[in-house]
Amino acid sequence: MPEALTRGLNPLLILAALALAAYALFGAGPYGLRVLTVAGVYAIAVIGYQAIFGQAGALSLAQGTFFGIGAYVTGILGSTSGFGFAVTFPLSILAPTLLALLIAVPVLRLESHYFALATLGIGQVVLLAAVEWQSLTGGANGIAGVPGIDLFGWRVGRGLPLALFVWTLVALGALLAWLLGHGRRGAAFPIMRETPVAARTLGIDIDRLRLEAFAVSAAYGGAAGALTAHTQRVVSPEVLEFPVMVTILTVAVIGGQGRIAGAVVGAVLLIHLPEWFRGLENGYLILYGAALLATIVAAPWGIVGSLERLRARLIPERPPAAPAASAPPARPTSKPSLPASSAPVLYVDGFGKRFGGVQAVSDVSLRLDRGRILGVIGPNGSGKTTLINLITGLEKADAGKLYVSDADITGEPPHRRALAGIARSFQTAALPSDSTVLEAVTAARIAIDSDIATARSHAMHFIVQAGIADLVHTRCGALPPGPRRAVELARALARQPLAMLLDEPAAGLTEDEQASLARRLRAAADDGIAIMIVEHNMPFLLPLADRILCLDEGRAIAEGTPGSIRRDPAVIAAYLG
Amino acid sequence: MPPRMPPWKKTLLTAALAAAVAHAAPASAEVDIPVLVPVTGFLALEGTSQRNGAVLAIRHAADRLRVRSEVIDTGTSPEGAVTALERASGRGKPLAVAASMLGTQMLAMLPLAEEYGIPLVTVSGTASITERGNPWVFRFFPGDEVTKTAHARYVVEELGRRRPAVIYQTTAYGQSGQAHLRDAFAKLGVDPVFEEGVDPGIRDMLPVLTKAMAASPDVLVLHLHSGPTALFVRQAAASAAGIPIVAGSAMHQPSTAALLEPAELKGVCAETSASPVSGGSPEIEKFTADYRSSFNTDPDAFALGQYDGIAMVLDAAAKGAATPEDIRDVLSQTTYKGLAMTYRSDGKGNMARSATIVCYDGASRIPAVAKRYEAVAGQ
Amino acid sequence: MILAQLMVNGIALGAAYALVALGFVLVLNATGAVNFAQGDLVMAGGFLAVALAGFIPDAPGFVLLPLVMALMALLGIAVSATAYLPLRNRPPVGVFISTIAVGIILQNGATVLFGPEPKAAAPLFGGGAFTIAGLQVPTQSIAVIATAALLIAGQYWLFTHTQLGRRLRATAQDPGMARACGIPVTSMIALTFALGAALAGAAGLLLSNQFFVTPSAGSGLILKAYIAVTIGGWGSLPGAVIGALLIAAFEVVVSYTLSYTAATAALYLALLAILAVRPQGLFGEASRRRA
Repeated sequence: MPEALTRGLNPLLILAALALAAYALFGAGPYGLRVLTVAGVYAIAVIGYQAIFGQAGALSLAQGTFFGIGAYVTGILGSTSGFGFAVTFPLSILAPTLLALLIAVPVLRLESHYFALATLGIGQVVLLAAVEWQSLTGGANGIAGVPGIDLFGWRVGRGLPLALFVWTLVALGALLAWLLGHGRRGAAFPIMRETPVAARTLGIDIDRLRLEAFAVSAAYGGAAGALTAHTQRVVSPEVLEFPVMVTILTVAVIGGQGRIAGAVVGAVLLIHLPEWFRGLENGYLILYGAALLATIVAAPWGIVGSLERLRARLIPERPPAAPAASAPPARPTSKPSLPASSAPVLYVDGFGKRFGGVQAVSDVSLRLDRGRILGVIGPNGSGKTTLINLITGLEKADAGKLYVSDADITGEPPHRRALAGIARSFQTAALPSDSTVLEAVTAARIAIDSDIATARSHAMHFIVQAGIADLVHTRCGALPPGPRRAVELARALARQPLAMLLDEPAAGLTEDEQASLARRLRAAADDGIAIMIVEHNMPFLLPLADRILCLDEGRAIAEGTPGSIRRDPAVIAAYLG
Repeated sequence: MPPRMPPWKKTLLTAALAAAVAHAAPASAEVDIPVLVPVTGFLALEGTSQRNGAVLAIRHAADRLRVRSEVIDTGTSPEGAVTALERASGRGKPLAVAASMLGTQMLAMLPLAEEYGIPLVTVSGTASITERGNPWVFRFFPGDEVTKTAHARYVVEELGRRRPAVIYQTTAYGQSGQAHLRDAFAKLGVDPVFEEGVDPGIRDMLPVLTKAMAASPDVLVLHLHSGPTALFVRQAAASAAGIPIVAGSAMHQPSTAALLEPAELKGVCAETSASPVSGGSPEIEKFTADYRSSFNTDPDAFALGQYDGIAMVLDAAAKGAATPEDIRDVLSQTTYKGLAMTYRSDGKGNMARSATIVCYDGASRIPAVAKRYEAVAGQ
Repeated sequence: MILAQLMVNGIALGAAYALVALGFVLVLNATGAVNFAQGDLVMAGGFLAVALAGFIPDAPGFVLLPLVMALMALLGIAVSATAYLPLRNRPPVGVFISTIAVGIILQNGATVLFGPEPKAAAPLFGGGAFTIAGLQVPTQSIAVIATAALLIAGQYWLFTHTQLGRRLRATAQDPGMARACGIPVTSMIALTFALGAALAGAAGLLLSNQFFVTPSAGSGLILKAYIAVTIGGWGSLPGAVIGALLIAAFEVVVSYTLSYTAATAALYLALLAILAVRPQGLFGEASRRRA
């Protein structure tokens, strides 16, 4: 790993870690060590918080609650049962994790601020319980006499031993978080955070990823809470109150959202910051607030994030070498002996969908066949995009059935339909703007390949095939429309789908680009993929498609070869004319 | 009312005075008395009283001692208190510290104070801080077992009421007081007809007042913080509740009375250790005048208790106590006549055994002493 | 009878909360930014009312109200200049932190300037109560309800019937397009912050007469505003008002039948139940999403 240690900010971070260690071992008195210990405790809480807030991108306001529950479990068991650290610490991690799993079912399906409010509400209920359930929690006075850390007879003394113990756990926690957050899961997070809808259609089970991230955050929160009970020796409802959550959020953002190093840097800075001003009696927090404001304005991506940007601007690094492209094995199908032409690859039987008072799709049936291209046309609002959404599972059909390779997958969620062999593109290319082209296409492989390196080299194969190898390290946000379409097509093809649904793939392309796109689509069909193209651009579509389906007001009004559709009076009336 | 002066100006003046005083001190060894109290957050009002009391005591001892004192904010978290104590002990050898009145903060500081051997001088009435066998804690304010006994006895014995409705705060202060009130009433053979905890963030007191009145009590017994006490008293006056109110120590704070019209205070009594603004002796009147001119605000019993506590420490130091152990011994073994009362440890660090009931006459915001309970037996 | 009395109190409290929530929504809709300093702005408005009363002795609240709102509007512009505009095209979580920082500065600035004691501002029209149909109605409650209704209606009129309101709405919907149409977007954003802070100032004045103000009062208020705005439907103006009234109803009316603790727990459980049935809040999402 020597290369990994010298890349990016790593040399700087290693230097900072060494400086901190030297300070702890040789420079800090009991007071300095105490502040450092508290910083370590918060670092652990925030490393966990980065999983749900930073990586999964969900604004959880329950991290302070998980922290507090961990503290109470250690406080109650430690002061009454006589159990040592070896028992209370795992239980302090387990209890909030179980709570997270319990509340995940109703809460995790909520979006953005509704998720935040729900987690806040649960936290407030827990706080009320801690204040009112006096026989268990000691009420507002809390629990005194929490013992120090006693691990198999080894008493971790105050000062240096405690600081080292906590910071060892910080290091272990950071390592574990790195292991959990890199590889395939790490590759899924940016896609799921920035384009959750697209992530589902890439076969990524984002509900499960969010659940895992939520549970991980709870476990870290509980661990930090347990340590705080040991370091302050009392537990009171204050550990469950909102200021703890605000501190955790502030540390995460100031340090750098989603970054493990950010959690540590942020905790060390923000826990020390008020101490530098504390001599100023009641005015010191004004300075603290001003310093906080100045920091976020100076480093809006967090300290670590902004330093990374600064370094990239000052000392541009050579991008890492692109992985060697390797062609993936052919898609294993459940029915290898599938006859080439008889059964359809994908069959829609009578889909219907109502939005409020509008019948968006009404009794539409269609079949996609191996190696054939179906064009879907119709005026705006005729239900074309809704049809794709119904097939991919982003919308639930009110009526109708869906079969892929003869299997009924009507009730399956989007990521399972994707795994069954359906791929799609979006009308406005849904690429994560902060990810590189390689990362975006790799995301299409992570539900298929067994490890991230394989996924990368397979993704590279499709990038090369699409003729965009020179863009491999470009950020998707910086791509012009033509290459964006190419990347999206490469991403859909990288799924090695049985059926591929494209929503206006030619929109915004030059004529040359359209011609090249048509060639690629024909080649993909020749490889055996069943393709459906929703398109307004008739000069592009009609020569390309084998058959055309025309929708109007949600109904299929005609189907046939491009030639017959061109002459169909109903189509002419509704659309072409 | 003292002349109005913006607090920042006051702070500057205080700093200048402190500097001048430090200069004029005799060249004896410097004494270190850090003040670790909450001057920010929801307990800033009480914490600032503590701070002012301690600072005034140090200033008054300036002719006898050279005192170094840093005020360190503890915030309201136990963590903040422990960090403040580490900070104070890391920057010198404190002879004693003026310690936060917040019970949970005291509980967090106790083990560390014992380890370092530093006497904690506090006015915390809450929590079992003196019942943990820790020889380093000294409480210069009657604990809840004293004040709540006086509180209940006044209600039952003096007012002759036997159907109290108890309204308390769902905080450490409130819950501890409520538990002791219940015990004290039980000893008097009285069972409260209504008890409810109120969150300090609650604004409208009409619901709880209505529920309390529905239980047909003959007295309202409060144990609330300053703002909520004023809210409740005002609501009771507006609803013409018509029964007496005997409130907790927050009512005696001049800042609480300042929120109310004198008429709204008619018939309201409060438990406290002392009421410096009510006067009573030339010494207390001098203290009150000094306090007003120094801090531009009226003193309360917390300020006076903290003043007495630090004054006892400084008196011992001036008489030769040179180490924290010496101070601990003096505090735990001798008697000291302070301004509020005479202090003597009961062996656990409870220095104050007297409580006072003060009542408002409806014409002024200065209460008068209605009853004094000396040497109240704990439970 | 007592229930009617509680309703009046609840609506008065809810009306003041609604002003807090509306200030929050205004800024949210115009910028997509969550202003965590809103509660502390309310607190600042309360102390400003108290401080102004020191300069203009015996002035009733309705005289102070426009002054407080004007000064708070200036503070709002200062907040937008320091805490929002520098972070405008940066990750949106940055504004969480910058407004939290502003809140810390305001709260501790108030402690240093005004001291930690609770303070009461002047009533709008004088204290006392009058009796309607056997109902004891505090003058201040009616004045609070009327003032809040007036301010909410005024805001509605501003946004729907004036050129300025149309420009503000255009800025809120699509700043890029608004700029292309020649609307001074930066000024519009600063103006929105000014309006939000002015509403906070009004709420601060109204709340601090009956319920006092302390430097630490802001944190509880921002929590209530956040809940009101979210449960109403992120960005919905009527939703925010209904949400605020709902919270006040739990605080005043439900706590008459249950204990305060049970009423608070019931409020949060009701929120979770509402989210289970309506995952987009009562009135649905109104604010543009930040992709």
